Amino acid sequence: MKQRALWSAILLAGLVTAGCGSASESDDDPSSSGESDRLVVWDWKSGEENTAAYFEQAKADFAEQHPDVTVEFVAQPFEQYYALLGTAIQAGEGPDVVLFNGGGQLRDRVDALLPLDDYVADDRERLAGWEAFSQDGAVYAAPLTLQGHPIYYNKALYEQAGLDPESPPATWDDFVADCGTVKSATGAACIALGNKEGYGIEFFLSAMGSAVLTPEEYDAWIAGDRDWSSPHVKQIFELWQAAGDTGLNNEGANSTAMFNDSFAIFQAGDAANMIGLMSDIGHWKDFNEFLGEENVGVMVAPQVNPEATPSLPYDGGIGYAVTNWTSDPDLAADLVRSLTSTDALAAFHADAGAIVSDTTIDVSGAGPAVSTIVSELETGKQALHVALSSQTLELIHILSQQLLSGSVTVDDAVAQLAASDQAG
Amino acid sequence: MDDRSGPSRRPPARPRGRFWERRAPYVLVAPAVLIIVGLRLYPLLLGVNFSFTGDGDRNGEQVGLDNYTALFDDPLFQQALRNVGLLVLLLPVAVAIPGLLATFIYLRVPGHRFYRSVYFFPAVLSPVIVGAIFNLVLAFDGPLNRLLGGVGAGPVDWLGDPDVAIFAVVGVYIWSTFGMALVVFLAGFATLDPALLDAARVDGAALRQVIRHVIVPGLSRTIQFVFVTTMIGMLTSMFGLLYIMTSGGPEGSTYLPELYIWTQQGQLNRPALASAASTVLFLIMLVVGLAQIAILRRSGRED
Repeated sequence: MKQRALWSAILLAGLVTAGCGSASESDDDPSSSGESDRLVVWDWKSGEENTAAYFEQAKADFAEQHPDVTVEFVAQPFEQYYALLGTAIQAGEGPDVVLFNGGGQLRDRVDALLPLDDYVADDRERLAGWEAFSQDGAVYAAPLTLQGHPIYYNKALYEQAGLDPESPPATWDDFVADCGTVKSATGAACIALGNKEGYGIEFFLSAMGSAVLTPEEYDAWIAGDRDWSSPHVKQIFELWQAAGDTGLNNEGANSTAMFNDSFAIFQAGDAANMIGLMSDIGHWKDFNEFLGEENVGVMVAPQVNPEATPSLPYDGGIGYAVTNWTSDPDLAADLVRSLTSTDALAAFHADAGAIVSDTTIDVSGAGPAVSTIVSELETGKQALHVALSSQTLELIHILSQQLLSGSVTVDDAVAQLAASDQAG
Repeated sequence: MDDRSGPSRRPPARPRGRFWERRAPYVLVAPAVLIIVGLRLYPLLLGVNFSFTGDGDRNGEQVGLDNYTALFDDPLFQQALRNVGLLVLLLPVAVAIPGLLATFIYLRVPGHRFYRSVYFFPAVLSPVIVGAIFNLVLAFDGPLNRLLGGVGAGPVDWLGDPDVAIFAVVGVYIWSTFGMALVVFLAGFATLDPALLDAARVDGAALRQVIRHVIVPGLSRTIQFVFVTTMIGMLTSMFGLLYIMTSGGPEGSTYLPELYIWTQQGQLNRPALASAASTVLFLIMLVVGLAQIAILRRSGRED
């Protein structure tokens, strides 16, 4: 009897320690791939209905080259995506190919990624938006979409107010004057702004930046040489604060969510202008649906400073990268190339309504707003906020809300940002 | 003969028996201890150890207390700690509301059966749904502000004003969770001797006096229990509601340590700093927990 109790206790203890062992080692974690006939992809897109055709195309393209390799797409919830990815990076194992947002999210994690320069050399011409996925001259992901911040306007509201919808205001003063006219004629606010999460300032900084900074200042900013105390940088923040103080924004901007309450304001015709996105969401396709294709206009940023050259701010939006622990980098890089093939991206554009990175795809069927956006790509530059570290962005979110509520001055805000930018 | 043969046959068995008897308890608790040590304490120590290493360029390096210095210099974390303090201060309100409502139900106010189920209803909703509902209700152009406008009061930016937002979120949290505490209180009332209440009434006690001198002393253990569970709930399960309603904003005024840890680890890729914040939160919870155990023990002795 006692003997039996002893044995079962030993057995139990053994089981428990074995359980602990595998919890900390996770040798047989199903999501990691040791063998090279299987690739695991993490993203937040493959579960969506409107990207099904895109993934079909990409998979078919890859299967043609590597018929024996199985590709497993794991769709993670976007809210948890970078937290899960951070855990995988800490462990040094997990997916072979991962989706990234361009800019800070990628740059913070390049240590875990494989430089792709040698693999994607042939795609460099065909695709645009590489800068957002590069760090110190090396490319870490191939862009799928382009993301940028056009200023959309509601042509119907401009027309109702007796303004010419085909010639949007060219200077900031005209813009403000037109807003006054629209407001008194239709009651619509000037700018639909959602700054609950603080994203509003990112959009504003990037959309208005090229209309305030001189081209030299703009390029220096992107190159990492940012003079936060310069009068022009301060002017952007002063404009932001003034837009709030003079009632250009919709009421309660600090408690309005960018996604998707502020877009809803613009779509409902309750605001005449909106700094939106180019791809995925809050973009021409959504606006076309609500306002009608013919009523959605895109304007170049109204000029604030005569020395500035307003341009469309855009970057690579999302792109696929290869982790540096993958067992067969060539194979993983081939999958990335399939995921950015022309056929696949054409399907992405058609179904998801994204402006894709492939500049050879014809977009003329998608309405006038898209044509304007695409025509501005040529002269467009990288967005100002994408060059900032995610920590500086986190700070700018909070400061933007404080600027709107008046609890911080522009001078104080730019000083804090300069300190954060230096540390990052 | 018997005297000698008995003991002489037993001795070989006895030491063996004693040996196992002495060890049996250890063997029997071993699984539980191993689980706790292996799956709780060991990861905890790893986490604490991790908090002394660096992030980013200094990944894996020992950096001493740098993370903790950075943490306490960060105004957001300071705000998160201040908000923990605020939650502790608001705790009596969170306990008094279900207590008072349970009292009314117990005293059979008209419609008490109806209220009993209505009060419990929000407790079955997930925080995400509650958050989404109140995002609409508390929106700047939402129904609550329209109601205020109807009676001539100016609109309040419930979730956009840094002085108001934390109270709005805590208010919604209390609304959505007090049903559980209410049920506990009602269970407590079931143990209350009705003869005491009758006696008080016969002696002409007013409602206030009944509550003060009969109900509160009779329910002291229930009240303490509700205090402990509400405190734990407030400190550990506001994340969902906060995430949906304010995401820590406006101006960082509604940050709590949990949300801070999540942001640092998931959004800003600073897992070591997040570990340091987790360690601090653990210490806070340890102090709160020990204090509560001490209170419970003292009240147990009084009984």
